[in-house]
Amino acid sequence: MLTSAPAMNLMRALRSFVDTYHARPDLVQEQRGWSRTVRLVASDGGTSLALRIEDGRVAEVTEGGDGGDVVITSDAATLLDILELRRGPNEPYVFGELTVRGPEEDFFRLDYITSRLCPE
Amino acid sequence: MNEREGLGSAALTAVGCGTAIATVCAIGLFQIERLVGGVWAVAAVLAAGLCCVFLARVLGRLSTVVPSGAGLLAYFSRGFGRSSGLALAGPYLLLCLLLIGAEALIVGLLVARVAPLPPMVGALVFLVTTWAMCRVGIRVGYRAQAIATFALVVCLGGLAVVALVQAGMHGELAARLLPPAPSFARFAAAVGQSLFLFMGFELLTSQVEVASSPRAVERALGASVLVLAGFYSLVSLGFSCLDHVPVGVAARFTPQLAIADQLGSRAAILIVVLLSLLASFTSVNGALLALSRFLYALAAQKLLPRRFGRIEPRSLIAPDALVALLALSLAATALVGWGGVLEHAIYAAAVTASLVYAALSWVRERPPFRQDVRAAWRRGASRVLGLGFVGLGVAVLVDAGPARLGTVVLLVSVYGVVALLVWRRRVSEGQGAPANA
Repeated sequence: MLTSAPAMNLMRALRSFVDTYHARPDLVQEQRGWSRTVRLVASDGGTSLALRIEDGRVAEVTEGGDGGDVVITSDAATLLDILELRRGPNEPYVFGELTVRGPEEDFFRLDYITSRLCPE
Repeated sequence: MNEREGLGSAALTAVGCGTAIATVCAIGLFQIERLVGGVWAVAAVLAAGLCCVFLARVLGRLSTVVPSGAGLLAYFSRGFGRSSGLALAGPYLLLCLLLIGAEALIVGLLVARVAPLPPMVGALVFLVTTWAMCRVGIRVGYRAQAIATFALVVCLGGLAVVALVQAGMHGELAARLLPPAPSFARFAAAVGQSLFLFMGFELLTSQVEVASSPRAVERALGASVLVLAGFYSLVSLGFSCLDHVPVGVAARFTPQLAIADQLGSRAAILIVVLLSLLASFTSVNGALLALSRFLYALAAQKLLPRRFGRIEPRSLIAPDALVALLALSLAATALVGWGGVLEHAIYAAAVTASLVYAALSWVRERPPFRQDVRAAWRRGASRVLGLGFVGLGVAVLVDAGPARLGTVVLLVSVYGVVALLVWRRRVSEGQGAPANA
């Protein structure tokens, strides 16, 4: 149950991100064969959202819980910036404002998808 | 071990040793041997190791609070701000390029001992082949890196034991291992140079994302230092007992072959060459991929051309950043090979490592890493450790002899390039780019 405004903002942004991604069949096609659970955790409020990706498509977006193949943690503002395509994840990553738990190839893939969706 | 469950302490220790041990380390070790010799060289290695044991505890704290694969840049940026983070970590990463050049040239010289190939051609083939494998997205796995390093450690360690036994059988052990005591300044310089041998173990913190826990990383950091100290001490003793001390090119570039020459066996030389080649490949593969990611991040900050921030979908690498790195690595190889800056690069790397280690000790006492409940004397100890590292860096520079001026020029160039990047970042911030001080 989403109870706080930041959590609702994040969920809204995440759903919009997924829609934008699915609207790019070329990009989805490139990710075929990739199946993972990606979790986003806001360090300043504890919001936790999960994306279940199956064969390159996002099959489900859920709130709460823990675990996942890749866990991405940052403050809510940074996560919102990324989901709303104002910045890529790699930049806050190298400066230690966003941390990743899981194989780096999966993070690179998410970074690639975001960079393709970001307007120049 | 299932990597999806996370790497344990043993695997991480192997990775930590693998990133620190490169063929260029043999040169550093041989320089220390010539500087102080015998048990004094071992004492210098152990003293540097002791400093690194304390540093390992510091790094354990940093990687627990900010469990980031970006490592040094992430810690410094969080503790001191992004610009200072770049200024502190940037020179270290740039010097890695020079060390890649040194590594490639040494590989060329090692191959030239067993095959009729000019050293610069061997270096070029090694560099381009390693780069091409990175270009198609081949990342050397943890196991491959661990096996390559373990084989090199066992081989060189075994040859060092043989050299010791031979010296013992000739009744020369005491004479070889107990040279006159060096001056304090000279010993401090040897300790500073020994830090160069450990340089790279701290990059183990970059594995925190795939480790079973941050605690496993902390344990592996300490264990890596102990393994490295033991290995370097043993090889240093082996160098002390060589029948024929290498001179000229062999002394400057490939002293590890002298220890294989001790056996008088071509097979031993061939094995050392092959294992060194393997260890160099795993090191350079990891370094090129890590550096391409750094360039990619700088491009995202608009500090480098935008095209460096383009990722290829199939290999998930930044191809333009890798091309730039190949060009820079080739230039670094030429600089080391024809410009004669190998010694300067090693001294500069030792000085930079000292400064980076000092900054790590100090950032430990800043938010978000600081613990207010920590005893005052412990906080003071971190600051003293940092000052000690700075002192060791100064000692390296003071004792660099004829290489001092070149080393200073190299340091000024590297820090100057990074200062320019930081300045560009500040200018772009002033023009409305993302401002994350």
